[in-house]
Amino acid sequence: MANRLLGEVALSTSHAPRLRAVGVALGLALALSGVAFGQQIRISGTVTSSERIPLGGVTVRVQGGDVRALTDAAGRYTVSAPANGILAFSRIGHRAVQENIAGRTRIDVTMTAVAFLEEVVVTAYTTERRADITGAVASVNVDAVARPTTASVLQRLTANVPGVVVEASGSPGSRSTVRVRGISSFQNNDPLYIVDGVPVQDSYVNWLNPDDIESIQVLKDASAASIYGSRASNGVIIIETTKKGSTAGPQTRLNVRTGWSNAVRGYDDFLITNALDYFQVVKQSNLNAGLPVPTGIYGDPNNPTIPAYIYAAPAATTATDQWGRPTGVDVSKYSYPNTLIMPGSAGTNWWKALFGTGAVRDVNLGITGGGAETQYAVSFNYFDQKGTAKYNDFQRGNVRVNTAFNRGQLDFGENVALSLEQHVGGLPDDPGSYAEDGILGKNILMQPVIPIYDINGNFAGGKATSLGNQSNPLKEAYWAKNNLNKNNRIFGNVFGGFVVNPQLSLRTSLGFNVGQGSFSGYNPPFPENAEATFTNSINENSNQFTDWTWSNTARYDRKLGQHGVSVLLGQEANASNSRFISAGISSLLNTDINSRYIQDALGDAATKTVSSSGGRSALLSLFGKADYNYADKYVASVTLRRDGSSRLAPGHQWGTFPAFGLGWRLSKEPFLEGNHTFNDVMLRYGYGVTGNQLIPAGRIVALFGGSRGDTYYDIGGQNSIAAGFRQTTLGNPDLKWEEDKSVNIGTDLALFDNAVNIVFDAYKRVTNNLLFNPAIPATAGIAAPPIVNVGKMSNAGFDFSIGHRAANWNASFNGSHYKNKINSINGSQEFFYGPISTRIGNQVINQVGSPIGAFYGYIADGFFKDAADVASHAKQDGAAPGRIKFRDVDGDGQITLDDRTIIGSPHPKFTAGLNVGLFRGNWDLHGTLFGTYGNKIFENQMEWYVFREFNTNVRKDLLANSWTPEHQNAKYPRLDVSDKYSYALSSFYVKDGSYTRLQNVQLGYNVPRSMSRWLSAARVYLQVENLFTITGYDGLDPALPPANVFGSAGDVRDQYRGVDRGSYPSSRTFTIGLNTTF
Amino acid sequence: MKITSRHPLAVGAASLIVATAAFLGCKDFLSDASTPQGTLNQATLETKAGVEGTLIGAYRTLDCTSNLSANWGCAASNWVWGSVASDDSYKGSDATDQPPINDIETFHWAAPDAQDYLNVKWQISYEGVVRANSTLRLLAAVQKASPGAISAEDAKGIAGEAIFLRAHYHFEAYRMWGNIPYYREDDNDFAKPNLTSDLVVTELLKDLDSAIKLLPATPRNAQKGRATQWTAKAYKGRVQAYAGQWPAAVATLQDVVNNGPYALEPSFDRVWTGFKDKQDGPETIWAYQASSNDGEPDGNNANYGERLNFPYSGSHFGCCGFNQPTQNLVNFYRVDDNGLPLALSDPTNWNANNNNFTADNKAAVDPRLDWTVGRDGVPYKDWGLYSTKDGWVRDVDNGGPYSPKKNAHEKASGAESNVGWQNTQLNSVHIHLFRFADVLLLLAEGYAETGNLEGARKIVNQIRARAAVSAQGPGTSTADMAVPINDPSITWATYKIGQYPAFSSQAYARDAIRAERRLELALEGQRLFDLRRWGIADVTMNRYVNGVGGGAEKARRLYLLTAEPFASRHKWYPIPDLQIKLSQSNGQSNLKQNSGW
Repeated sequence: MANRLLGEVALSTSHAPRLRAVGVALGLALALSGVAFGQQIRISGTVTSSERIPLGGVTVRVQGGDVRALTDAAGRYTVSAPANGILAFSRIGHRAVQENIAGRTRIDVTMTAVAFLEEVVVTAYTTERRADITGAVASVNVDAVARPTTASVLQRLTANVPGVVVEASGSPGSRSTVRVRGISSFQNNDPLYIVDGVPVQDSYVNWLNPDDIESIQVLKDASAASIYGSRASNGVIIIETTKKGSTAGPQTRLNVRTGWSNAVRGYDDFLITNALDYFQVVKQSNLNAGLPVPTGIYGDPNNPTIPAYIYAAPAATTATDQWGRPTGVDVSKYSYPNTLIMPGSAGTNWWKALFGTGAVRDVNLGITGGGAETQYAVSFNYFDQKGTAKYNDFQRGNVRVNTAFNRGQLDFGENVALSLEQHVGGLPDDPGSYAEDGILGKNILMQPVIPIYDINGNFAGGKATSLGNQSNPLKEAYWAKNNLNKNNRIFGNVFGGFVVNPQLSLRTSLGFNVGQGSFSGYNPPFPENAEATFTNSINENSNQFTDWTWSNTARYDRKLGQHGVSVLLGQEANASNSRFISAGISSLLNTDINSRYIQDALGDAATKTVSSSGGRSALLSLFGKADYNYADKYVASVTLRRDGSSRLAPGHQWGTFPAFGLGWRLSKEPFLEGNHTFNDVMLRYGYGVTGNQLIPAGRIVALFGGSRGDTYYDIGGQNSIAAGFRQTTLGNPDLKWEEDKSVNIGTDLALFDNAVNIVFDAYKRVTNNLLFNPAIPATAGIAAPPIVNVGKMSNAGFDFSIGHRAANWNASFNGSHYKNKINSINGSQEFFYGPISTRIGNQVINQVGSPIGAFYGYIADGFFKDAADVASHAKQDGAAPGRIKFRDVDGDGQITLDDRTIIGSPHPKFTAGLNVGLFRGNWDLHGTLFGTYGNKIFENQMEWYVFREFNTNVRKDLLANSWTPEHQNAKYPRLDVSDKYSYALSSFYVKDGSYTRLQNVQLGYNVPRSMSRWLSAARVYLQVENLFTITGYDGLDPALPPANVFGSAGDVRDQYRGVDRGSYPSSRTFTIGLNTTF
Repeated sequence: MKITSRHPLAVGAASLIVATAAFLGCKDFLSDASTPQGTLNQATLETKAGVEGTLIGAYRTLDCTSNLSANWGCAASNWVWGSVASDDSYKGSDATDQPPINDIETFHWAAPDAQDYLNVKWQISYEGVVRANSTLRLLAAVQKASPGAISAEDAKGIAGEAIFLRAHYHFEAYRMWGNIPYYREDDNDFAKPNLTSDLVVTELLKDLDSAIKLLPATPRNAQKGRATQWTAKAYKGRVQAYAGQWPAAVATLQDVVNNGPYALEPSFDRVWTGFKDKQDGPETIWAYQASSNDGEPDGNNANYGERLNFPYSGSHFGCCGFNQPTQNLVNFYRVDDNGLPLALSDPTNWNANNNNFTADNKAAVDPRLDWTVGRDGVPYKDWGLYSTKDGWVRDVDNGGPYSPKKNAHEKASGAESNVGWQNTQLNSVHIHLFRFADVLLLLAEGYAETGNLEGARKIVNQIRARAAVSAQGPGTSTADMAVPINDPSITWATYKIGQYPAFSSQAYARDAIRAERRLELALEGQRLFDLRRWGIADVTMNRYVNGVGGGAEKARRLYLLTAEPFASRHKWYPIPDLQIKLSQSNGQSNLKQNSGW
């Protein structure tokens, strides 16, 4: 064993061991033992399946080292290795094969498909055999991840990993909210991503080209993840981009695809698009209230007509009819913005005006190659996705260079990606706060009588009375078409490894994540609105950040008889700093895009503003892991990590995160050995502690500040304000780590001659010392409350996957369930409300004993039947027949605040994914289904399209399906403009959010070699994403991402899930693509 | 590279040195990165500039701030609490906008919707207290650490202003909720139980007496926004009047009237104005010093709290049609042949008019009507003729045809903001927190309550004489925007205002003074608080809704059919539910809800 690998050690990424000070000392001692090296030879061959099909993507590794190569699409490989070494062939889903080289230069191998237990996976700082893993580690099927067309790899994880839920809107390049096994904290619950060994907390990851990815592992439980202690409590996702160099000759792959998309559903599917139909709702609502029917738009209530003009400025009006509607106008008087003339529309379809066909183009070119001493991989990506909304586009250009140099015992190299992204258009992620002003909030719910353009081609609006206060959504989109969001990134690492002897290797890696981003935006005036505005403004910002991580590890492996021991020791330092500057100016004289700069002369200099901010944080860590394996039968691992965080208080900065795991491979016991039903049976138990410190930096001490709008004051009364200050934030000198303790038991099974694999894990996670800023009495002021370590939350659940592989088909089904519960908030407090409200109030509560972010309000018990029903019911404000009846929960005979209760949970009871593959000759067909069950949606959009607040458009079935004395079994309460009661927050808004969606179906054809002699392989395919959705949800799209909600303690979006305030719907995308290698 | 393979020891040793150095170098690695970025710390503020700035911050919470503006419950004028909740104004706008105010207007104060409004008022009141107390603590710290850094005179003034502000913010809470907790600079239990309203008055007077002792007679640094000894004295009289301590109130207020620096403005139009040179005049005891175009990017200092209260899209302002004067209020400006309020001389019919009181209606009115209410055919300051037909009102069916006017700026004043949502609704009109006419009328009340009917009559007549000086004119400049009340240029109204020849009884005096307060202070956010301290809120409000003087508001505004009867529990607003829950210690809420809620 000693001689096996020292001739040369190719080296690639971070999963190999790294340098650590302590380890160095150990290494020095062992290094002196001296070794001999074998002679290097060049080996090549072909890998085929048992059906004699060439296998591409097989990792060929020189055992004991890091030299590796990948087979090409024809199954060919070339590698340099010691003549007396061993080659290990591995591929996900195939039984690993080892061949003694024994001086051969050609080694052809046949691999059979097997249960995944024999896979080799990249875990924390190293690689492990699946069979040695005692924690809950899921390997992601990278082939499935390659299929979807979204910009970010994160969005492609849905349906593929049990216990992992990904939520994103349909907006190109939007954020992905990834949650591993529930929600453990009131604050940020984003997992930690490790890309090529470099930790990064970024929920977009748009800078990473999915085509570069070779493997993804998800460390779900603490026994697996705690080696990343500090930031691992929300799970760790390890991504390797190692489509890296091989020692074969240059190989080029070109993957190209193009697609077209539409929204899965539009508001025009269920909102009124005919103006006169809308009028009937207005009419009935007024008649039922005993109020006169407005005549200003449609004229005679009994013979309504589309008005010639919905608005004509008095100065331009030459004639009006008996209803006061302009019938004649002097077109020459038209002037923008003060004298507008807008025609009436028989029915504007606002959805169609704004949403149409999107497109996606994705081009990848990669070249890999190298020799014994050098391997390289270079890739290029251009990605362009046009949203289904107008003027909305995401583009990315990405270049990656991965190289590795092997020089004797030393190896070094780098993985570097340069990515430029730009995002154009005004529909970013779902906004926090009031979302109604976004294009998809209430603006798109404009009445159908409002035209898109006025008589002169300017954008029209609802300037006349009773047409609402929305803004023309197409105008919003149009003027945002040059709002440019840029994100430039250099991400990667440089590394060096030193193999002291076959047992001991040292490694160091410096990872870096350097970015700069900018935004520039324009806000037009809206003179055509009922609430007209006349000033424009621009704003822009720029940010830059540097994040580096230096890690050093030492790895020691020893096998003595049946005993295998492996020890990893490491040290890591991480530092981040960022800087942000923003500025703006109003009243630009020239709104041309070339004049949109913030300079005195270009606008109103007095309105110019600028401010900057910044942040710093650092982490320092020591860690170790020891694994023991006896005869592959008993496996144990112990992990210990100590982390210091600059965000926490002196004295509490360091946290210790221990973990251990035990595994028992029953199938190696005599009573199961050779059993064909139970080929592999592994039982696992893991316990571990992970930490969380994801709070804003600097919260240890009280902070003071002030701003012109908050503390400054014109004390002299002459419009010259004096500076003022206040305490802005209360500090906590005892701030310490949040700790997540988790227990996992699991089993891995390979059954029926390895035809079926089952992985089942059950877990319980309890978060203690939860970092949280509970509200304090207002008598203490509005300073942000201190973040304190109070609160406790638990998640219990299970996840599993069942896979089957046969010659012509394979399928895997995965499912997961978790139950989240708030165990305590701060000891005395029983609840706190959600972080944001809509106009109808705060529909979310976080209450002890319930899950985070539960819906809160009255229980709607149908509608009042008649006066007798009103009289016999508990006293309720505004009670009347046809209005919603609320339940007297506390039984005190009246409906009061105390009758509000928990009315639903946004958390699914069960989520499931199904992946199926079928193979016939050169044809293959893959499908992915995703489903979520038992989660509720708070359909806040009903505020508008049912209750017609602000005279928005309404649902098509509102008139027919509203309560009347004759139609008691109605869907909606009685139409009544004076009913200001029924819309109160209640279970009326709470809908079942379950859905099943065919996320992806792809039909591929492998072009026979005879048809493409000049290519080594080619495959063409057709694909549809989100072809159909089965759901009972009647809103736009049940796949709702949590909105971007931030509190003074950071990201709190998990306190505000499942509220439908108008979210960019998912896209149905048709794609054709071509994959080739040559 | 051969070297490395031959000398693993050398390479290993080098690596060890590098790694160790890195590790040792990390000693300050964490602490260096832990310093907060871009904020001030306590030490920075323990200076004169820090103390003065913190005091400025304590003034700023007189209106909503950019960090305390969840809704309009924080407005400087109290328009939601004092005007909409009374018979002065409707919520206005359209039915569905700001629904919490619907509940407040219809006395459903326990409704969930109203909670957010109540809570923001509670928050801004106590944030003011917190800022005032911070000033006092910082002042003490500076005086201890570096005596002499702040002159003795300034130190007294700063302390006096801070204590005065503390009293003011507590008073705001007191007149909302009555039974409130009182916080001084050495308090650190923020879950204290509330005091009874009587004890709150004692605490208020204690602070005001301290402030009077400390404050100078003229504003420090000659800055008009600052409280003086006279501000505090006048305020003391106000608190005594609220508490019904009439003899004491008379003494205090007489001192202010006789010895203080205040006087009525020469004409009514100069009280509420955007013209800089007319602001902070002799009548201003204390005002929120709104500023526009002061470099604040969103116009947050330009009367954030009032920005909804402008005529709608057909007007220059564009939005949002809130705080619309009631028909009852407009009718209340009707006068009899003697120019005295019709409401007094014809209690059965004064309120009979249900129709839009337009320029076509030439029934005689008090000229203050057209400085207070925007109505059809009458110039709206210098913005042209008010016109519901041209869309100056958002929804006439919902909120009636009128608009508020006092808070609006004159076009010629240049008080309008250039920035913010919406800039046309943001201005630097100073919102009066306390003005001399108010002091005079409180003194008149004191006289009437203590039997000096003649003293009371003189004051009321003094107020009326000033009101008779000018009326809304047609002009667009300072010179002709206000004209004599019988000026021929006035074609939209008949103005008449007479003097009371005598107050025949204490009861009549009360009625006259109370009527005068309404006419003078309408839409200044005081009406409901006045009705409550007079003990007639229930009678007045129930009559307003159901019928008084020949008209019932519920017939005019149908939504008032759903109004809850104004009952004894409406004596105070309910303490925000959330704050009661947050005041827990040992599982018990220390704040007690007001009775009936």
